[in-house]
Amino acid sequence: MRRQKKVLQNPRIAAIGALSEVLDTNKSLADSEALSRLRDSRDKAFAKNLTYGVLRWLSALEWLAKQLLTRPLRKRDRDVKRLVLLGLQQIWHDQTASHAAVYETAECARLLGKAWAVGLVNALLRRFQREQDSLLSELEQDPAWHAHPPWLLAEIQKDWPQNWMEVVIANNLQAPLWLRINRQSADEALLREELQSAGFELSDHEFARDAIRVSPAAAVGKIPGFEEGRLSVQDPAAQLARDLLNPQPFERILDACAAPGGKTAHLLESCPELDLTVLDKQAERIEQIQQNLDRLGLAAATTAADALLTDEWWNGKKFDKILLDAPCSATGVIRRHPEIKWLRTSRQVDAVVETQAQLLDGLWPLLKTGGILVYVTCSILERENNRQVQLFLKRCIDAEVEVIAQDWGIAQTCGRQILPGETNMDGFFYAVLRKSS
Amino acid sequence: MAKLDILEFPDPRLKTVASEVKSFDIHLKTLIEDMLETMYSAPGIGLAATQVNVHERLLVLDISEDQSCPRVYVNPEVLSESGEQDCEEGCLSVPGIYARVKRAESVIVKAQDPTGIFFEEQLENLHAVCIQHEIDHLNGRLFVDYLSPLKRNMVRRKLEKQRKVAAQDAEEHRLI
Repeated sequence: MRRQKKVLQNPRIAAIGALSEVLDTNKSLADSEALSRLRDSRDKAFAKNLTYGVLRWLSALEWLAKQLLTRPLRKRDRDVKRLVLLGLQQIWHDQTASHAAVYETAECARLLGKAWAVGLVNALLRRFQREQDSLLSELEQDPAWHAHPPWLLAEIQKDWPQNWMEVVIANNLQAPLWLRINRQSADEALLREELQSAGFELSDHEFARDAIRVSPAAAVGKIPGFEEGRLSVQDPAAQLARDLLNPQPFERILDACAAPGGKTAHLLESCPELDLTVLDKQAERIEQIQQNLDRLGLAAATTAADALLTDEWWNGKKFDKILLDAPCSATGVIRRHPEIKWLRTSRQVDAVVETQAQLLDGLWPLLKTGGILVYVTCSILERENNRQVQLFLKRCIDAEVEVIAQDWGIAQTCGRQILPGETNMDGFFYAVLRKSS
Repeated sequence: MAKLDILEFPDPRLKTVASEVKSFDIHLKTLIEDMLETMYSAPGIGLAATQVNVHERLLVLDISEDQSCPRVYVNPEVLSESGEQDCEEGCLSVPGIYARVKRAESVIVKAQDPTGIFFEEQLENLHAVCIQHEIDHLNGRLFVDYLSPLKRNMVRRKLEKQRKVAAQDAEEHRLI
């Protein structure tokens, strides 16, 4: 029997489905099928917002649910539990949540085939409405309030003893929408005019000169200039890679882990006459890069290959510059992908640290003497960033750290760290390494 | 695990009356896993073996939103039914069509689990609708059979139109 229409098209039920896709099957929230099945665009926006909110505040919401439930729900009732979390999130963070919202949420239990839970959800949410103030002040005393898993919170506190609180707060805020102007095809003044007349408010970035912030955030399809390739979506922190690489005509540059191709495109937009080699390990991700370049009217030779297996793709000619946008924990972009907090494990970070070290060691011989390698991660963890580069310098005698003469980020011994929220950016790490003779 | 193809109305094979499951072996276990995967990806809340062109008395259900309550019924049989409900039904073998059908509100079902052990269970509300819908499949009956001939013809025409449009889309895609 097909799932009933009223169930499939219910935004709260879709949100529960999306939570299950992310938390039970490790899917990225952006790929949720349950959300994409919603036909009404307002329902979709509501469900998406609610799902992001629950993933942002998961451990805090679970703490609240635990206080309010007289006894824990059975494992097979985790759909009811998630319904409770949705209701709590809405009451806590959505100022307009009313009695109608409580009623609608509770009634969803019936659609889940668990009519016995309607009364329970209703009573629990009403109690939260009444006791919100005292429960929330109690929650503030508990580590669950930070809404980070214990290992990650401890690591952020260890790595950033001065700033960890700001990092945690920034991770739990919604990220703004930043665009990058395609200098090859866009007339900036005209584009700004079009964006403004479409009702967007614009602001510039202090450091990334091609960045424009548009608010309110909207789907890319609704942003004038996107389809024709005059704009891309990209955080200003990611746009700084271009400044450090400073590409010049006819330079031979390797972009070793290029997908989804944002930094690749930015290099070509500022200097189309590059001898650029674009790699990514996964074929379907190479396709994504190609689509992005096509949309932007740019061209580069892309190859699906593991950068470390040089026999498969390298012709033996060394590079002037290498961009190593290394695979990482993505702990710098939690504000955009809150599910990262709950899916990532410390052990996975160990594995990715190992891969980063292999990439540094494996790509270094491909660089010309005097050339630079720009090492980038969207991580805020010391072991992937400053520590990683420190260890590389110990292993490698002809590598030197170049001082990054910029005003953004926090100076480290081997690079600069941008923490999430700094001038409204994602968390990124940059190091510039020069090959000495 | 593998996703299986679902037969679609008016495929005559959907009218087959399924026969009793006799061996509770590895083949049955694989079929159950494949049927669950097929049901989840549809997305459905119930699937009878008949729908995947296996004519044995076997059905799977899961009305949860997060695939947390899969249930398997081998050789299911309704022992008794009570009450009445009127519920909107849709079927994976009749894509895009929903219609209200009158069913018993509560049923007591006897069945075997995947290892052959007998059990009895009372099902209510949506669970009851779903198992009655699936047992109908095993008897070669579809929910559209409960509709008036006029309505059933409308369903048939609507499906034909849907298929035509889909075929045209595919053709256009090929030309591009």
